[in-house]
Amino acid sequence: MEGANPVVARRPGRLAGRRKGTRLTETAIRTEGLVKDYGRVRGLDGLDLEVRTGEVYGFLGPNGAGKTTTIRILFDLIRPNAGSVMVLGLDPRTDGIELRRRIGYLADDFVVDGRQTPRELLTYLANLRGGISPVVIDELAQRLDLDLTRRIGALSRGNRQKVGVVQAFMHQPELFILDEPTSGLDPFLQQEFSVMVRQAVSEGRTVFMSSHVMGEVQRVADRVGIIRGGRLTTVEGVHQLRDRAQRRIEIVFKGKVTAEEFSAIPGVSDVQVDGKVLTCRLDGSADALVKTLARHEVVILNAEEPDLEELFFDYYDRGGSR
Amino acid sequence: MLRNSFTKWLWDNRRSVLGWAAALAGVGGMYAAFWPSIDNPEMREALENYPEAVLKALNFDEIATAAGYLNASVYGLVVGLLIIVYATSAGTRIIAGDEGSGTLDLVLAHPVSRSRLAMERFSALLVSLVLISVALLLVMLALTGPARLEGISLGDLAAMHLHLFLFAALFGSVAFAVGAATGRRGAAIGTAAGVAVFGFAANGILSGIEGLGWIEDFSPFQWLNGGSPLANGVQAAHVSIMTALIFVLTSVGVWGFSRRDIGV
Repeated sequence: MEGANPVVARRPGRLAGRRKGTRLTETAIRTEGLVKDYGRVRGLDGLDLEVRTGEVYGFLGPNGAGKTTTIRILFDLIRPNAGSVMVLGLDPRTDGIELRRRIGYLADDFVVDGRQTPRELLTYLANLRGGISPVVIDELAQRLDLDLTRRIGALSRGNRQKVGVVQAFMHQPELFILDEPTSGLDPFLQQEFSVMVRQAVSEGRTVFMSSHVMGEVQRVADRVGIIRGGRLTTVEGVHQLRDRAQRRIEIVFKGKVTAEEFSAIPGVSDVQVDGKVLTCRLDGSADALVKTLARHEVVILNAEEPDLEELFFDYYDRGGSR
Repeated sequence: MLRNSFTKWLWDNRRSVLGWAAALAGVGGMYAAFWPSIDNPEMREALENYPEAVLKALNFDEIATAAGYLNASVYGLVVGLLIIVYATSAGTRIIAGDEGSGTLDLVLAHPVSRSRLAMERFSALLVSLVLISVALLLVMLALTGPARLEGISLGDLAAMHLHLFLFAALFGSVAFAVGAATGRRGAAIGTAAGVAVFGFAANGILSGIEGLGWIEDFSPFQWLNGGSPLANGVQAAHVSIMTALIFVLTSVGVWGFSRRDIGV
């Protein structure tokens, strides 16, 4: 299982930083036809998921789409009615203990008994994993600016979430499973968290993170899977998503222009002209628009970074109209 | 103290355990200290004027001896009921309470098996019940002279506290088993409370009804102090019943817990 691996070989950049001794399987997570019913409500309706080793996979979907259900199955907290699950080559149902040794978990709201201090809790959790050097815990706490000696009940939500981040990272797992990890984190911590995730990936670790906000994953994810109604509707690379996304373009001309000249250009829509200022939406390649612009004198050209959030809602809508 | 789920549970519950130990020892000791003021001819005469059925219903039928008084007022009443409250609430918290507050997921996301977690925590509950029983035992021993309990031997007193421990563990295992198997706090507390109410009634008022005398054999309160361990030492049959039930209930709870979905 070590060394040569077809998926990793296709991603040489990742291989460079991989630590020696990290066990590899081709896919970190694979589910096939996963079904989960809650009484008469169907939570998952045939979910096929494939997360490759060494990637950051953003698992996106609206609330109630089945994200948390999926994650709870990966940890064997709940059991599917049908379908198969393999995580790091192991079945969570039968090899759960060995598997959970190698996974780091963080839930959106990190709730624990508030009467203990972070150090007490983290020492206990570390011991459940067979013991972790206190130095590692101290370093992580320092990095996140977390006070280990105050009762957890007295901490703000953001600080509580830091305790969760420390416990998810302290044993340096091969796979991180993060359920809406940065909701409730302040911008500084979100930034630091992104750095930690990228660092983990550069060491060859795999990150599977769910979110209902595109922005949360677009900074760090390689690929995005969109779940809706308990099924995976789309899987795509973040870059492909971005390339295909609509951009809002604003152009200021030296002289006056007419809307008609631009409306006909392929990919351009929603054209509005106000004297010398033109705004429009651009879908796909900018080539035809640029060639038309060349006939005019352009003073300012402003293209907004694509809003993946909008694209995300576009997927939601399509999923809904099916 | 943070080495495993067994010591972690004791550490987390240290204030509660010490508080209950102090409260039970205090209340039990206080009631025991009343014995000299009850042990007099006027009181005996007053009690003799009550109908026998009433005395039986209140478990006051053998109140003329120190052992009978302690059975009726301390073990069969105030201490018995209080320790049910502790054991039920602690047994419920082991799984159902933890699950209900959303804090069970984190531990189960670690490399521990559900059955091991449940067994370690339940063992810790048993240890806490030993501590509470021993605290009360020590107070009773200290009061033997001052409260004129000389008629009760050390062995019989220890036997009574073995019964008390098993009685409490039985209610703890009812609450634990129902909570672990269903994940429902309310069901766990409700079942244990139901058993307590039935047991209390069956041992007192119900068993006084014509033709229902046998019902007291099914009451945990009968297993607690029926046959008077304070006077006659360990009651093997009652100890066996309680031990067997604790074992069965705990096994069923762990089995159910390992098989079901954990609630959000």
